[in-house]
Amino acid sequence: MPRPGFVLEVDERTPPLLVHEGEGFRMQTFPLGTRVVYPPDPLPGIRDVNAAIRDALLHPIGDSAPLPDLLKAGMKLTIAVDDISVPLPPMTLPDVRQRILEHVIELAARAGVEDVKIIVATALHRRMTASEIRRMVGERVFRSFWPKDLSNFDGEDAEALTVVGETEEKEVVEISRRAAESDLLVYVNVNLVAMDGGHKSVAIGLAGYRSLRHHHNVETMLHSRSYMDPRPGHSAIADSATRMGRLIAASGIRVFQIETTVNSETFPKNLGFLNKREWEWSAYDQGLMMAARKATELAPPRARREFFRRVEAPYRITGINAGEVEAVHDRTLETLHRQQLVEVRGQSDVVVFGVPYLGPYNVNSILNPILVHCLGLGYFFNLYRNMPLLKPGGVAIFFHPVPWEFHQIHHPSYIDFFEEVLAETTDPSTIESKYEERYATDPWYVHLYRTSHAYHGVHPFYMWYWGAHGRDHAGDVIFVGGEPKSVARLGYRPAGSFRDALEMAKDTVGASPTITYFHAPPIMIADVT
Amino acid sequence: MGVRDELKTMAAGFRWGRRPIVPRSAEEHAEPKEDRVFPSDWARTDAGVAARQVLLKGVMHPIVRNELTLRVFGREHLEGVDPPLIFYSNHTSHLDATLIMCTLPDRWQSKTAVGAARDYFFDVWWRQAFTALVYGAFPIDRSRGARGAVDKARQLLADGWSIVVFPEGTRSTDGHVQRFRHGAARLALETGAGLAPIAIVGAFQAMPKGRYWPRGGRPPVTIRYGTPFAPREGESHQELSRRMTSAVAELFHEERTTWWEAIRRAERGETPSLVGPQGPEWVRRWEGSRPIARKGPAKVWE
Amino acid sequence: MALALEFYRSAPKYLGARLASGKAPGLVTGGLAPLRLVTRKDPEPTREGWARVKPRLAGICGSDLATIAGRSSFYFSPLVSLPFVPGHEVVGELLDDCGDLRAGRRVVLSSVLACAARGEDPPCEHCAVGNVGRCDRVAVGHLKPGLQTGYCTDTEGGWSRLMIAHRSQLWAVPEGMSDEVAVLIEPLACAIHAVFRARIRPGAAVHVVGAGTVGFLTLIAIKAFTGADHVVVAAKHRRQRAAAAMAGADDVVRPEHAVKAVRRTDHAVKLTPERGMEFLLGGVDVALECTGSSSALDLALRTTKAGGRVVLSGIPGPGADLTPVWFRELELVGAYTSGVEDLGEGETKQTFQMAIELATNLPILDQLVGTTYPLDRWRDAIDHAMAAGRLGTFKVAFAPQE
Repeated sequence: MPRPGFVLEVDERTPPLLVHEGEGFRMQTFPLGTRVVYPPDPLPGIRDVNAAIRDALLHPIGDSAPLPDLLKAGMKLTIAVDDISVPLPPMTLPDVRQRILEHVIELAARAGVEDVKIIVATALHRRMTASEIRRMVGERVFRSFWPKDLSNFDGEDAEALTVVGETEEKEVVEISRRAAESDLLVYVNVNLVAMDGGHKSVAIGLAGYRSLRHHHNVETMLHSRSYMDPRPGHSAIADSATRMGRLIAASGIRVFQIETTVNSETFPKNLGFLNKREWEWSAYDQGLMMAARKATELAPPRARREFFRRVEAPYRITGINAGEVEAVHDRTLETLHRQQLVEVRGQSDVVVFGVPYLGPYNVNSILNPILVHCLGLGYFFNLYRNMPLLKPGGVAIFFHPVPWEFHQIHHPSYIDFFEEVLAETTDPSTIESKYEERYATDPWYVHLYRTSHAYHGVHPFYMWYWGAHGRDHAGDVIFVGGEPKSVARLGYRPAGSFRDALEMAKDTVGASPTITYFHAPPIMIADVT
Repeated sequence: MGVRDELKTMAAGFRWGRRPIVPRSAEEHAEPKEDRVFPSDWARTDAGVAARQVLLKGVMHPIVRNELTLRVFGREHLEGVDPPLIFYSNHTSHLDATLIMCTLPDRWQSKTAVGAARDYFFDVWWRQAFTALVYGAFPIDRSRGARGAVDKARQLLADGWSIVVFPEGTRSTDGHVQRFRHGAARLALETGAGLAPIAIVGAFQAMPKGRYWPRGGRPPVTIRYGTPFAPREGESHQELSRRMTSAVAELFHEERTTWWEAIRRAERGETPSLVGPQGPEWVRRWEGSRPIARKGPAKVWE
Repeated sequence: MALALEFYRSAPKYLGARLASGKAPGLVTGGLAPLRLVTRKDPEPTREGWARVKPRLAGICGSDLATIAGRSSFYFSPLVSLPFVPGHEVVGELLDDCGDLRAGRRVVLSSVLACAARGEDPPCEHCAVGNVGRCDRVAVGHLKPGLQTGYCTDTEGGWSRLMIAHRSQLWAVPEGMSDEVAVLIEPLACAIHAVFRARIRPGAAVHVVGAGTVGFLTLIAIKAFTGADHVVVAAKHRRQRAAAAMAGADDVVRPEHAVKAVRRTDHAVKLTPERGMEFLLGGVDVALECTGSSSALDLALRTTKAGGRVVLSGIPGPGADLTPVWFRELELVGAYTSGVEDLGEGETKQTFQMAIELATNLPILDQLVGTTYPLDRWRDAIDHAMAAGRLGTFKVAFAPQE
């Protein structure tokens, strides 16, 4: 029986606890009385994944016919696939998207469909490389479709986009023309967090800048409490995506949504202790931890990066559902919440987060300071429902070295954003009004986005907005172990140790604050009441 | 933090050298007790089985043969029977498990695990390692309300492993058979596994409770295997326990008299009870420790 | 045939435990403790006045740990009979009628095996007045030698599923008192007795050294039965200090700061010898040493004013410097278990009775029993008890019926 998540109260019997910090981790002793939020044990996975996929395709949920009935000879079929930003870490092969694609294409082939295009739904993320795509879709699909009929989405190809319409809130819905003009659009999704999937898949994954600016903005972010809580009224971005998605459905575009959920077995055997509660570590786990810690400390940076890059998650699939978008997504959220939801009573003056080495936008890349801000103050901060773990005006303490390092090929616009924009101001609204347009339409960035493997010129702005709610809510943000120059550029305060950070926090929350440590990864959602 | 400081924090925080302890607020979510017993499955891998064969055949069996005058009967009853079986025996001595493991036919020995009291044999790692290795032992929880005791046994039987249990639950202090606990009967009824009775006569005389090495003089010990039987349809565990007890009683008295006698007495329902004579403690001990007559040629010089 | 945890004779284990308990306590619970879980024959109450008791909770006391770790004095060797089942802080259920107590009643044990239990008639001079703790006959009579239940092979003890007790040892537990509080009655009675032995006058200054279970209960007794004006408590661990403050101590400090804290009570002169602990010329009227460690005894002796009194609640170990006893003309007083107390004006009351009455209305006692363990997890229990202060626990107890 997998045990539920729970809140530990640190007492004399509690050992030091593990805190992630980038490409490494440390064992931190927390003051007595600190609350620590632990995720639930991993749910058991589906035994026969292939049978589950077959079953899902033949017995869809909601108002939808089984997939074979929707496939006819002579039709135009488009299959869209979630890109490399999920799951994190990348799952061990075979990727579940490979399995689903193989089933779908087999059914299409049998039905005599000839016009098939597979699009990697990158929106304004970077194009995936050929080898990354091959890893995700599998050898068979890759060889059959690449490069003519399997490609990355291009959000800057005006001819490849089409306007579907406008929602009641005057939001322009502009998506891939090929997808909009197909007889059937199949979307293959991996739902890692509650923000993924649902209407977000098509309305955002296959959309261009004109559509995205309606919800990827500061105003929407400040009104998303949180964006990991897709219940109507809680997340402005989810509400916007829903409006756009319903418009797409109403305009006659038929979407067959296939969503999958994974359990929380995030780390492989050689890092198995990262999945377990510290007081349940065996002598072997403790030895492994110390060895891993020493290795990451002493290894040259490139070796360390390569080691972490190769970490693959032994995720088990906990659910596969297919059919009509909203009905499928309800089921998906049910399973996801069962795996990730933890009840927490009350907010705290201080909340501690350990920022790991990987976020959605640095797979096979580098976690630059802007991405650290997005991962910490954006994603991790927003892993809550009802209200943040942190009291308004409280102190958020993060652990990460925040190195002044950027990937030249993947994140060129980030470098300029960091050096030019943040040097001037860190206020999201000012940044949005003064600089966004320029970066979004800069022809050099557009060129790199379309032909190289760079994130779109506007992407660093989105990263900055992603932490807007967190910035607004917290009274002070401190980075333990962070490089002072980069941390200062982000507008935060560096501290040498946790003790120093608590000392600095005294100015904001006094000498004996309530402290909560959010012990993630593995990913979980704090249901705060 | 220097390496020494780190090690000191780890050593203090994780209580190196001491028993692990669960933080107070995590107690209700602690892993179930059974899981914290040292695992014994490693001893049932191929490597473990091979090592056990070497230890039993190369070390234990020669010691047994040297220290006792051992006679074995009844192994032919196990031919043609399919595993798994629940072997059960009377229990008077630490010798019992060793004798059974040394005298089981090879095809049974390599796939049999002895049930050993968790609180005694599995509480420290070195005792557990020894017991698991030599006897392929698995833990049986003797404490009140422990239901995990049978889970492991059930799992082993499902995997095709035979098990050895001592239904009395502990060694007799006077050589006579105590009341059988119902765990073995219940297990047989649940899993449908066959029951194989074994009677060990003379072990109490040779090495009673309190001794850890046999008496001098090569005391005679006999181990008798009986015919395996299956639980009957609709049998209650009390009835089955009774059948199990009388099976061992028959074997016991077969040893003391003859096979023919034993069958006829069983027919007449007159198999003497195994629980020994009524009366004061010393009489029971006296009867229980009565030396077994040696059979065979007398020694030349006496 | 009842499950019991038995202390047995094993010279190598005794030596090993003695050597290891200082540096590597883990070894003591790993395999060096001369303790084993056995099924013993049920003890039979053969004589008049004896009954079987099923222990519900049995505490682990510092003296038990000292015995297991091989640190108790050889003085006790003729006063115990091996192998015995430890456990003298017991709350249990009567299985037989015993005198006026019906079977099924919950009882606590006053563990001394005195004249009445041993069938010694006429009783010795101490038992005659009710001071059973001072009984002279604990090594004779129709029981094997054993100063208390929990050190005698005939009676078994609390760390088993079944033991026997004599009517003279049994006290009924009031309805509504939880087992967790009832198991503390025996140590509370010892603490009350120590406080009365201390003869604290109204307005006196008192120093309690140690705030584990013994020290804490001593503090409670001081507050309940004396008019002490200022109480200083020296405690090593944070939780102990917090509890002492909650129980009404006037000044709670770490042992390192205790001399300074006592100095502040009467502005005494503090002197620092070239070797050894600093001391005061002056100090408190009464000090109670509640840990059994020699450095704690040093602290008590060096912070008591001339002519004052130092009470030994814990069994003193070797190593304390007794010079202050001579130089400051101190009264060194031992306090062992409980008996009857003189309440003044000729009135006397049994300590156990006072303990039961005091415990009935003291909610603070509910939190003292930190964790209970079943008998088969005795290694975890002993290990926890040995580090109880550091782990933030006061009392660890066995729940033998589980």
